[in-house]
Amino acid sequence: MKKVLKWIFWIALGVVLILIPKFCGIYYTNFFVGFAIMAVFSQALNLELGYTRLLNFGPAMFFGMGGYGTALALQHIPGMPLLGALISGVFLAALLALILCPLIVRVSGVAFAMLHVAFSMLLYMLALKLRAITGGEDGIAGFPTPPFSIPGVISIDMKNPLNFYYFAIVVLGICMWLMWFITQTPFGQVMVGIRDNPKRIDYLGFRVPESKGLVYILGGAFAGAAGAVFALFQNLISVDSITIVNSFTPILMTMVGGIGTFFGPILGAAFFQVLEEVARHYTDRIELVMGLMLIIVVLFAPMGFMGLYRDIKAKLAATSSDIKI
Amino acid sequence: MSPNTAMYVSQGIHGIAYGMVLFLVSSGVTLIIGMMNILNMAHAAFFMLSAYFCYQVIAQTGNFWLGLLLAPIFTAICGMLMERYLLRALKGYGAIGELILTVGVSFLIIGLVKIVWGTSYLQIKVPPVLDGLIRISGLDYPIYRLFVIALSFLVLGIMALLLYKTRVGKIVRAAVSDSDMVNALGINIPLVFTLVFGVGIWLAGIAGVAIAPILSVYPGLADQMGMDAFIVVVVGGFGSLKGAFIVSIIFGLLSSFGVQFLSQLAPLLMFIFMAIVMTFCPHGFFGEGEEE
Repeated sequence: MKKVLKWIFWIALGVVLILIPKFCGIYYTNFFVGFAIMAVFSQALNLELGYTRLLNFGPAMFFGMGGYGTALALQHIPGMPLLGALISGVFLAALLALILCPLIVRVSGVAFAMLHVAFSMLLYMLALKLRAITGGEDGIAGFPTPPFSIPGVISIDMKNPLNFYYFAIVVLGICMWLMWFITQTPFGQVMVGIRDNPKRIDYLGFRVPESKGLVYILGGAFAGAAGAVFALFQNLISVDSITIVNSFTPILMTMVGGIGTFFGPILGAAFFQVLEEVARHYTDRIELVMGLMLIIVVLFAPMGFMGLYRDIKAKLAATSSDIKI
Repeated sequence: MSPNTAMYVSQGIHGIAYGMVLFLVSSGVTLIIGMMNILNMAHAAFFMLSAYFCYQVIAQTGNFWLGLLLAPIFTAICGMLMERYLLRALKGYGAIGELILTVGVSFLIIGLVKIVWGTSYLQIKVPPVLDGLIRISGLDYPIYRLFVIALSFLVLGIMALLLYKTRVGKIVRAAVSDSDMVNALGINIPLVFTLVFGVGIWLAGIAGVAIAPILSVYPGLADQMGMDAFIVVVVGGFGSLKGAFIVSIIFGLLSSFGVQFLSQLAPLLMFIFMAIVMTFCPHGFFGEGEEE
């Protein structure tokens, strides 16, 4: 029974995703792509922050790396296929994580967080100053978007927003599924174990620093994937993507949604995107609305939406068992 | 005196003035984090709010000294209200709720400031006594910056006396090391927390007023200072006033001489310094190791 329900849910979700452009118009379709990018970005951060407690406070540098990698590949390599560009972005972000991880997995807690702030600031300054490569403040814009093609089989024009929507949703959906899969594997259990008690995991014979490094690289790669899709989506990548603000957005999304839960970051990203959209429609005081909403949310759900959901479920279970007695 | 020396002296004074203001802000952050374990992301927003309060007081009364006196007190009252009615409601839910809440409050303050005062740059005039330059042994010193340094030392002196020579100070220091135990001894710790929070915000408020005539008042005033203050607290070690002081002065000098010699890379120096310190002593200069 449960399995049937699960299948029905997945099919319904698929149908909804396919039908979104039909019913919502191009504006909200693009809005949905923006949401999906932020959801994957937040989820990648949640792998580190929520599941393993690696306090990565500079996720924007991986996001930016993914974006710059894709944009540079498309700009400088003629005939670069779309997937190749995407993969080169992801690869660059993972490479950055790989370079940083021997240094970074040695420290923990606040030092880890602040080192990330420092490194993301460093990259921000580099992106700003290395004008010849990154275009400085203007960023890289107007790079060609090649069609998605499998030679001899199919070639889909990506300049059409509708086609791009399906492409982005598939790529981001695959990323999301992979992250879900990772949390379900034994390795996912080790991640949670490292968060809860690294010493015990060490005694059980798992290699804690190596596992941390792997999570770090995976998180960086997925954040890079989000950044790569973002660069293709906007046809622009600029230093704005490496700022502290862009680091804090997914952190807040993860925390508001519920840290360490799989659906938390998705909910948080949806909350922020919808809130910003609605606020933008009615007022230009976005900060005020955001601040008020953050305060209200945190007063009623201090552990995020998923924490609230858990509390309500526990309360309901408690009352129903009371009735039985 | 040679122009070279003059440059060193004037940049040094700029650096120390900035460092002292930075210390006023970061001492509040480090007191609050050391005692209450709250990373107050709204601290810099209060710093900015105080500068606006000062502008308003001057607009009403035309008196800079009154602004210097009243604006930090108003700001501290706002901070204490936030601690009493918002932060305390989140007790027992851990750091995440507090972090979101303080970010929310800082958004709120920035939004309100933009509504009330607009986004333009507002100038604050210093009284004629503090305006201009003073000539000591052949070198010109800007009086206002010297005043900022003196004011900061005065405030710090009073704070140090309070903290190390009085009974209240003893309670606060005890609460920093173990607040549960002090609470068990029959001291009203929630009240002490509110007071310390207020004092921390008050220090930030004084810094806000002190920096306002130099940088002028605008909503983005807090961005740079907030980031710098957190870096100072982390590098100096949580809860360590001594660490915050030394690192603030180092940062002030780094930024002023950095602009002089490596203007391209000046904003980076601080982060490079932090990265090096964090790599080799992860708890900061004077921080105690956290228990994992």
